[in-house]
Amino acid sequence: MREDVLRLTAVSKSLPGGRRLFEGLDLVLAAGEQVAIRGESGVGKSTLLNIVAGLDAADSGEIMVAGRNLAGLDETERTVIRRDKIGFVFQAFHILPYLDLAQNVAFPLILQKIPRSKAIARAGELLDAVGLGERRRSYPKELSGGELQRVAIARALVHEPALILADEPTGNLDPDTAEQIMALLGRSVKQRGAAMLLVTHSPTAAATADRQLLLTPHGLVPAHG
Amino acid sequence: MAETGGGWRWLIAGELRAFPMRFLLAGLAIAIGVALAFAVHVINRSAADAFGQAVRSVSGGSDLQISGASALGFDETLYPRLMALEIVADASPVVQLRAMIGEQNKPITLLGLDMLRALTVSPNLIGRTSAEAGEAEAALDMDALYLSETARAQNGLRIGGRVDVRANGRSHSFTITGDLPGVDAGQAIGVIDIATAQWRFGRLGMLDRIDLKLAQGVSIEAARRAVETVLPGSARLTDAEAESRRGDTLSRAYRVNLDMLALVALLTGGFLVYSAQSLSVTRRLRQFALLRTLGMQKRALGAQLLGEGALLGIAGSLLGLAGGYAIAGAALRFVGGDLGAGYFGGTSPKLHFAPMAALLFLSFGIATAVAGSYVPARQAARIAPAQTLKDAGDPVDPRAAPKAWPAMALIALATLFAFLPAVNRLPLFGYLAVALMLAGCVAGMPWLARTLLRPLARADSRLPSLDLALHRLLGAPSQASTALGGIVASTGLMIAMAVMVTSFRGSVDDWLASFLSADLYVAAASNEASFDAETQRRLADTPGVAGIAFSKSLSMTLDPELPPVLLLVRPVAGPGYELPLIEKARRPGVGLALWLSEPAARLYGARPGAPISLPIGKEGEPARAYVAGIWRDYARQQGAIIIDARDYIALTGDEMRSEAAVDIAPGASVPAVRAAIEARLPPDLAGRVSFAEPASLRARALALFDRSFAITYVLEAIAILIGLAGVAATISAQTIARIKEFGMLRHVGMTAGQILAMLASEGALLGFIGVTAGITVGLALSQILIHVINPQSFNWTMATTIPWALILAVVAALIITAAGTAVIAGRRAVSRDAVRAVREDW
Amino acid sequence: MRWRHMLALLALGISCAGPAAGPDPDYPPVMPGVEFRFPRDHGAHPAYRTEWWYFTGWLQGADGKPLGFQITFFRSRPSADPSNPSAFAPRQILFAHAALSDPVKARLIHDRRIARAGFGLATAAEGDARIRLLDWRLDRRADGIFRAHVPARDFALDLAFAPTQPVMVNGDRGYSRKGPRPEQASYYYSMPQLAVTGTVVKDGKPIAVKGRAWLDREWSSTLLPPNAAGWDWTGINFDDGAALMAFQVRGRDGHPIHAGGTMRRPDGSQIVLAPADVRFVPRRRWRSPQTGAVYPVEADFIVRLPEGVRRVRLKPLFDAQELDGRAGAMPVYWEGLVSTQSGRGYLELTGYAGALRF
Repeated sequence: MREDVLRLTAVSKSLPGGRRLFEGLDLVLAAGEQVAIRGESGVGKSTLLNIVAGLDAADSGEIMVAGRNLAGLDETERTVIRRDKIGFVFQAFHILPYLDLAQNVAFPLILQKIPRSKAIARAGELLDAVGLGERRRSYPKELSGGELQRVAIARALVHEPALILADEPTGNLDPDTAEQIMALLGRSVKQRGAAMLLVTHSPTAAATADRQLLLTPHGLVPAHG
Repeated sequence: MAETGGGWRWLIAGELRAFPMRFLLAGLAIAIGVALAFAVHVINRSAADAFGQAVRSVSGGSDLQISGASALGFDETLYPRLMALEIVADASPVVQLRAMIGEQNKPITLLGLDMLRALTVSPNLIGRTSAEAGEAEAALDMDALYLSETARAQNGLRIGGRVDVRANGRSHSFTITGDLPGVDAGQAIGVIDIATAQWRFGRLGMLDRIDLKLAQGVSIEAARRAVETVLPGSARLTDAEAESRRGDTLSRAYRVNLDMLALVALLTGGFLVYSAQSLSVTRRLRQFALLRTLGMQKRALGAQLLGEGALLGIAGSLLGLAGGYAIAGAALRFVGGDLGAGYFGGTSPKLHFAPMAALLFLSFGIATAVAGSYVPARQAARIAPAQTLKDAGDPVDPRAAPKAWPAMALIALATLFAFLPAVNRLPLFGYLAVALMLAGCVAGMPWLARTLLRPLARADSRLPSLDLALHRLLGAPSQASTALGGIVASTGLMIAMAVMVTSFRGSVDDWLASFLSADLYVAAASNEASFDAETQRRLADTPGVAGIAFSKSLSMTLDPELPPVLLLVRPVAGPGYELPLIEKARRPGVGLALWLSEPAARLYGARPGAPISLPIGKEGEPARAYVAGIWRDYARQQGAIIIDARDYIALTGDEMRSEAAVDIAPGASVPAVRAAIEARLPPDLAGRVSFAEPASLRARALALFDRSFAITYVLEAIAILIGLAGVAATISAQTIARIKEFGMLRHVGMTAGQILAMLASEGALLGFIGVTAGITVGLALSQILIHVINPQSFNWTMATTIPWALILAVVAALIITAAGTAVIAGRRAVSRDAVRAVREDW
Repeated sequence: MRWRHMLALLALGISCAGPAAGPDPDYPPVMPGVEFRFPRDHGAHPAYRTEWWYFTGWLQGADGKPLGFQITFFRSRPSADPSNPSAFAPRQILFAHAALSDPVKARLIHDRRIARAGFGLATAAEGDARIRLLDWRLDRRADGIFRAHVPARDFALDLAFAPTQPVMVNGDRGYSRKGPRPEQASYYYSMPQLAVTGTVVKDGKPIAVKGRAWLDREWSSTLLPPNAAGWDWTGINFDDGAALMAFQVRGRDGHPIHAGGTMRRPDGSQIVLAPADVRFVPRRRWRSPQTGAVYPVEADFIVRLPEGVRRVRLKPLFDAQELDGRAGAMPVYWEGLVSTQSGRGYLELTGYAGALRF
């Protein structure tokens, strides 16, 4: 049986000030499934992502990532789950300026103590896949925004995570590039059999997902593009 | 620019509000540099003024002076010969002595004058008979003593009273008849009749000075030529200006040293401004890009940063000037005008503000701050707006290998300069060598860092923290070298000073040990020559005394442009008198054997065996002599020459001595011998003689050494602290600027501990490279200080002693500072909020 | 009688004994009955406390305009300890003063020299007048003519004084009383009617001059009466060859304490004037703008002679002939060229700018 990559059950979260973001939120992501979450600014889309990543704690509810309940884990164990099971794509790319492209992409493997030569070779393959194989020795400052996000996609996939968390991946890109990047992201994630949780307020980006959900204070409801 | 003026101020204010500490530190460094430089200047100006005033006071307003080449003076027959010269309108013969009056043992300058001559030649020295002294006592009264106000105040004496005056080993009672209204405040001067001075103080037939008043229309130069024709070897022509200049010569090297330290502080300030500004530019690149997009001119942007630098410079420099003036005031009060170095004995200077110098140092401070802002300003002006709206990397391409040759060229030039001679008795090239060496080392840091780090980075440590740290240092070379430059410069200077001072102190200690080999030393109060031949014989016969050697010192002018050397009269070999010889003449020369101290030999360019003439011969003719040897001396920067006591007596007949070194017979105790000697002193010497044992003399000498280095220590400590603070500020600022990076690293699976380990590794690596380079350059600099700057400034050499323990401590302190600062700054950056930073935009 | 410079030196304290100055030098007393011998007595008498050679007179250049002058050499033996072996010990002090009065410009210029004897810089020889004081000289040659060489700051005098009459011995054969007590006296002779020739350098230009002068010679060991405040003195060369010396010593209350003088008639006969024979009557006073002192610059000396009382009215050639010696620690006094009916001379007024201190 195919295991669920992510299962959220009755998750609630309030802000430190007391304002409730959402309550009784349920979500199940099957392997290979791509889900887009949309919502107004400030409804807690990013907070939800952080809770899934184990960087923020929910007030109540159960969060299972790759079969493990985050609630029972300490900080180090959560970090290990993030390192091994999750890949990130950010709105602001966050490519380390002092590493070249191959080193940037290989970085998650290095964190897993994969020998460097192997890690760099694998990073090269991923860079080939996003069309930047020729520029693996370049530094980030030589790249355009779209290119940087391709590097980020390669980095998110290099360690073959089960889950990709993408937070507004096209937020800093022009519409044409955004379209290409979303296509590349969707295709790449699919190819590697990972699931993806995409947070965005862009209908175009959300449209690439298998299903679209709307984040409301009462949980996720199906959205219609 | 007008339309951007408002925005300009707003931006500066915003930046200041956002990062007050960084700017405060940079401004403070500028302030400290300016303060030190200005304080040194003001103190010296005040001291030199006081010294010049003392010289002028004693000369009493005469046009020109003839002075004895030595403290022995010259034959009085020169006086009528000078009077016979056409160019001389009048001449005033003077006997000048150092004297003690009353019970307080505060020395005064005692002048024996012919009032009738002084009346026209040096009217400022004419006494004013006080009404209360009675009408009978007046200027030609042979027992009248006129005392300047300071001399009376220092010794608690009143006009009308009687007082004992002691000079040249004799004592005589005088009536304080009046004051010296023409003598400047602060000068302790007494005036008596010349005949009484010669008679009562053992100066019959001798004069120490003749003041000249030149005939109308005679130029000083013409007068000099005419006077030279009658001048014997025992006398020299001087004027008040040259005297002041000699005082200046003596302290100049010391002063320049202090100025250099102040300059280091100022440059450190400049570096801090540079580092603060470049970080702020890096951080604000997007802000600037936006401003450029919104239509701000390139030049306006650069001008904004230069303006920030200038404001910082003005604020810092003004603060520095005020601080410097305050420091000068405090130093004059508590340390003295020579900053503890003992150059201006006996004068108590008043604080003088120096407006021109203030302006100069103000502009220095501003220029330094503006210069520090120049490179960042250019960088900001050059940004391409569109490009910069993305994440910016290091402006330097990490793949390009940094060039080693500029650093090599600077170091080569430094080495060359280190071998050049002094300019005008100042080690200008030596200082230049230090500056170039430092600059070379800083310039070489990118290359050195890459050379050292690349092999490490290639090795696969499987430690992600270390790996990432190495890659960051290699991948952001300009940020790394900014931090490294600070570490290298401050370590280098710290090590250099530490090695120099340790070597100096060690050499002084060794020198003291060899110089103070007797068991007991006896000195007459204030080094008056007090032991006559009879007393010497009596003391030599004291029970328990195995050997006793008497000595005295007198100053002597060999070159009118140089401060007088000290002639030390003592047995060359004998109890308690060993010479720490550096060099010896291979064979005896012609005439008397003289032993020159190292400073004397260097000042007068004398080699062992070379002939030298001594201006204390019979009949005023110089005595022929040769340099028998050169000995180490750290006590007398003006130089000292040792003459054997027997040669000296044969030459001058002068048997008065002021000090004695005693070897104690086996079995006798020091206190017992001391008491026995005290009992054998003539009554007028009893209680006016001090005893010292080598240990206490040594402790006193070292305390004196430390005192004269106190200001150097303080300046150095301040420079180093600024340097360390700068390193800490640079590292922490760089760390804080990386907050988003840490957020991302946490996302992709680095633990907070790993990030801190990475930062600590970065800091430690930086510290390690910086300190390694710093020690190397520090040792090189210490050799320049020891072998170039010290000999050229002070004319003495020393043996290198390396304070390993201190260096290790310094190394540890720096690495810990660098790593610790990075970790402390990192803790803030890795906090929970940092996680959100990945989403934050500007 | 010329005490002012003695007083000047007093101000410098030369002749004063300090409390611990050792034994007082053995000054010989001045006693009557000593015959002068020349040229010996033209020379110095170093054992006595004070002595002077004092020339005053008037000169005329080619333009006929009159000039007054005075040249004084003064010797003093201070009370210094004679056992002091120093070559600077002030065994003798020599002092000289020279002044030039220019009635045309109504101006007085003066200069001075002072030195302790020794090193050949200041000597006053015994046996005949031969004085060296720095660059000033006074010599009496074998031909009996005195020559003075006085280069000064703003002028120079190079003058020869030829006697035209025998020496005029004052007082009791040279013993001249100055006060009520017998030891308050001096040895005193004058040489009036000296014919002067020589050169005066004034305003940088040498002028050949001729004129008449008066030499006063006096030496003594004893001072004025302690209650004296000052004195008034004159010496007049009359056109007919007669000469008058007259003085009075004033007490602090302004009244005369003592007086005296000598009148030599044209025929050479000479009358000694007793204290009761001399009176000094001020006629006109002048206030010095510099010092504020008020001097009787125009006055009568009234002398009683056997042939009757003679009133000698003295008129200054100009008023501003005050010597302000304060800058050089010297006293302030008036000393000026005066004329009288058929005669010219010098008037000296001291003790008007505050009582002189002794």
